[in-house]
Amino acid sequence: MKGDLASGAVLAALGVYIVVQARRWEYLGPDGPGPGFFPVWYGVVMIALALVLMATSAARRATAPTPRATAKLREIGRALAAWGALAVCVGLLKVLGFLLAFALLAFFMTAVMYRRPILPALAVAVGSALGFYLLFPLALGVALPTGLLGF
Amino acid sequence: MDITGGLLQGFAVALTPANLFWCFVGVFLGTVVGVMPGLGPPATIAMLLPLTFQMNPTSAIIMLAGIYYGAKYGGSTTSILLNVPGESASVVTCLDGFAMARRGRAGAALGIAAIASFIAGTVGVVGLMLIAPPLARFALSFSSPEYFALMVLGLAMVVLLAGRSLVKAVLAMLVGLWIAGMGIDLFTSTSRFTFGHSELLDGIDFVVVAIGVFAIGEVLGNMETREGTQMLPVPKGLRNLLPSLEELRACRFAFLNGSVIGFLIGVLPGTGSTIASFMSYGLEKAVSRHPEKFGTGVPEGVAAPEGANNSETGGALVPMLTLGIPGSATTAILLAALILWGFKPGPLMIQENPALFWGLVASMYIGNVLLLVLNIPLIPLFAQILKSPVYVLYSLIFGISIVGVYSVSGSLFDVWMLAGFGLLGYAMRKLDYPAAPLILGLVLGDSMERALRQSLMMSQGDLAILVSRPISAVILGLAAIVLLVPLAKKVGEVRP
Amino acid sequence: MIHWSLIAVLAFAVAWTEPAAAQGFKPSKPVDFVVHTGPGGGNDVLARFIASAIEKEKLVPVRLQVSNKTGGGGLTALAYLVEKRGDPHTIGTFTSIWITTSLMREEAKVTIKDLTPLVRLALEPAVIVVKNDAPYRTLKDFVDAAKQTPGQLKQSGGSIGSRDWVVRQLLTKHTGAQWAFISFPGGGERIAALLGGHVQMMVIEPQEAGEHIRAGTMRVLAQIADKRLPAFASVPTLKEAGFDVRTLPVVRGVVTPPGVPPDVLAYWEDVFARLARTATWKKYLEENQFEDAFQRSAEFAKFIDRYAEEMRGILGEAGVKVVR
Repeated sequence: MKGDLASGAVLAALGVYIVVQARRWEYLGPDGPGPGFFPVWYGVVMIALALVLMATSAARRATAPTPRATAKLREIGRALAAWGALAVCVGLLKVLGFLLAFALLAFFMTAVMYRRPILPALAVAVGSALGFYLLFPLALGVALPTGLLGF
Repeated sequence: MDITGGLLQGFAVALTPANLFWCFVGVFLGTVVGVMPGLGPPATIAMLLPLTFQMNPTSAIIMLAGIYYGAKYGGSTTSILLNVPGESASVVTCLDGFAMARRGRAGAALGIAAIASFIAGTVGVVGLMLIAPPLARFALSFSSPEYFALMVLGLAMVVLLAGRSLVKAVLAMLVGLWIAGMGIDLFTSTSRFTFGHSELLDGIDFVVVAIGVFAIGEVLGNMETREGTQMLPVPKGLRNLLPSLEELRACRFAFLNGSVIGFLIGVLPGTGSTIASFMSYGLEKAVSRHPEKFGTGVPEGVAAPEGANNSETGGALVPMLTLGIPGSATTAILLAALILWGFKPGPLMIQENPALFWGLVASMYIGNVLLLVLNIPLIPLFAQILKSPVYVLYSLIFGISIVGVYSVSGSLFDVWMLAGFGLLGYAMRKLDYPAAPLILGLVLGDSMERALRQSLMMSQGDLAILVSRPISAVILGLAAIVLLVPLAKKVGEVRP
Repeated sequence: MIHWSLIAVLAFAVAWTEPAAAQGFKPSKPVDFVVHTGPGGGNDVLARFIASAIEKEKLVPVRLQVSNKTGGGGLTALAYLVEKRGDPHTIGTFTSIWITTSLMREEAKVTIKDLTPLVRLALEPAVIVVKNDAPYRTLKDFVDAAKQTPGQLKQSGGSIGSRDWVVRQLLTKHTGAQWAFISFPGGGERIAALLGGHVQMMVIEPQEAGEHIRAGTMRVLAQIADKRLPAFASVPTLKEAGFDVRTLPVVRGVVTPPGVPPDVLAYWEDVFARLARTATWKKYLEENQFEDAFQRSAEFAKFIDRYAEEMRGILGEAGVKVVR
């Protein structure tokens, strides 16, 4: 699997971080294992397994080099763009409130990500935001995040 | 009071028009609450408490209990259709439930979930009725060593949930353990991995991780291409909307498994329906003749966990009603309600209030029937949701996820965490790391560490306590078997 | 002429506005009643009762709406209240655990000192219980047994800084006996540990213990209160049992955000003072076996400071890190 080396490295680093942090806490206290006990151990196992993963991945690459498939960057790009839109929506929650921020997100998804024409996209955005408004605060009494505009 | 006498009295109480009405209100509300991710029974029950002061307490408890077990029916809906866990216990249902939906069997999955819930829910009530007091006493002999053994057994399930790469599955589980450990350490009050944020003092809410990794991760993955106007094939015709006889037959053991395991785990205070559903799923996979098919959409993979999380409600009511001990957030608030109405939950409550207890039991039988009748016709309605174009559905999933998470804690920090875990979920999909072990580690990690440290405090550092007590020894033995048998098989495969 | 009528108009205007100013603040929209536990938790139940009692006694012209801001041992609710600086339509329930949390948590960016204490409402006593088949009939029996087997007897309780932990710290220091303290996150688990025989003793709220005592599954050794509770008239207090230890009580009260104008403070203080005098409230205290401990804002503030000092001392002696 292609990303194994990288993900293994990240996990190994995480394991190291965990162990380093855990060493600052009590390992064995007067009453039993302290807060550092468990993290040290699962951190160590994490490092070990991550290294195993990296090793097997490197070994596999050596014996049967996978033809570098077109990294499908465009696909990952689309997914990350969608995530970016979500992140922007979350960021705007405090400013615009959920209903507006969500409407923007829905519009973006429809018009930009799926290339639908503007009018239907607007319809989706407004319609779904309205649906949320009717369902959550009105019908169920669940508070939606509100922004500076008061809703 | 003997059982038949009690039951007759109970039905006399439960079948009054008023109580039937309140039972219906409760289970209906429960279903709605269960369908909505994030919004759960405890908050709903709390909101309704002031209303209950005007009511007869028996009617009130019938309604509130209806919300409790009704929510477990609804929780599977979004899990199956959208891969969004409606309730924390429904996470396991996402695994095979959503896979079934992907194969066009969404209606069947929903039907199996409803049937399993009905069977298990009823078994749970039967258990509550027949063996509550002796079972509660037996449950008292469970303490930290036994809980630890149970958690180890649960984590051993990782091996069963592993899929292709055991190493990756264990790594995912370890990350789950790490996330579980974030927050204030109970025994020393040390803050662990809080990065200076007071919002992390209680750790990261399970709902945030589950919805992020499953729902958002899934949507991000699907957004890679613009193909397809529909997310999932829409089941057409009655045959595709209901489970086939073959599928139902495949679930025979799962119905039993879910009912029994859920109920037993529910009786133990401190364990919940999430653990119950994982255990049940794991057991089902372990005894299956085609374990490798789990995760691709096998009906038993839906029946077992859905049943378990329903009978767990019956089990959780056992310590609550027989001893006055709450086993979960919802039973805690039900207890508070009983106290507010003037009852005194404790060992004498059932004896002194037989009408309340038996009325409640009888209403639960009725409630389960009502829920089955309510949910089955809703299946075609829910399945129509799948007809929506992807851009609508995906936006809705994003929106529902945000609202669901926000409704749990009211914290924007949690919503940011949701987005972060969404990205993690996507990365895990791309890199072929299974998500279930992560969730398992998250659910069990905290309890397991606590149970181990409590055990060692009880034994003053002696590890032997874990094997010298008969119950924990047996459970640990089971865990060893669960771990070693598949491992031996895998090792046997590697050696040519 | 015009001169006189002008004065008359002015005098009339002054007379007309004066009473309004003297009346002071009155809430004009629903009040946010902040609670730091989830639904069903101790403070949540208390807040809901207070809200309904206030409504019943018509003490406030608007509705009190309970909102749960859980997390961090009270820190989330604390931070939320501080954010609402100056808002006269927000109040919050207070428990003494906020003091401990403020002392111990580095992550706390705001502390109890940032809030305005409004009123102290009640003290919660507790009782020390053992399982009904235990060989201890008095607290002295238990302590003596602990002295003979240091570290082997066990108490189930909450986290460090909780009342049961404080009791154990003070008793062990006072008597020289040693026993283990095992933390369980929930009350249900603590009781189960005791009833299952896995621990020998626990400190528990009287109403929780009440039913078990009635059923005969638990036995009370002593009560942690200044004077005997009516429901436990035959049980000695700690002092009467021979253990003259001043324990820190569990306190429930109300606080307001910082920067609230004096007339608003006076208004709310008055509302709760009147509530504390009602029969509804007194009945509630009696049913839950709370001690009436009404204190107005000024004394309450002093009480909190003294409490924090004592808690700092206890934590320090136990070797627990105190950050402020």
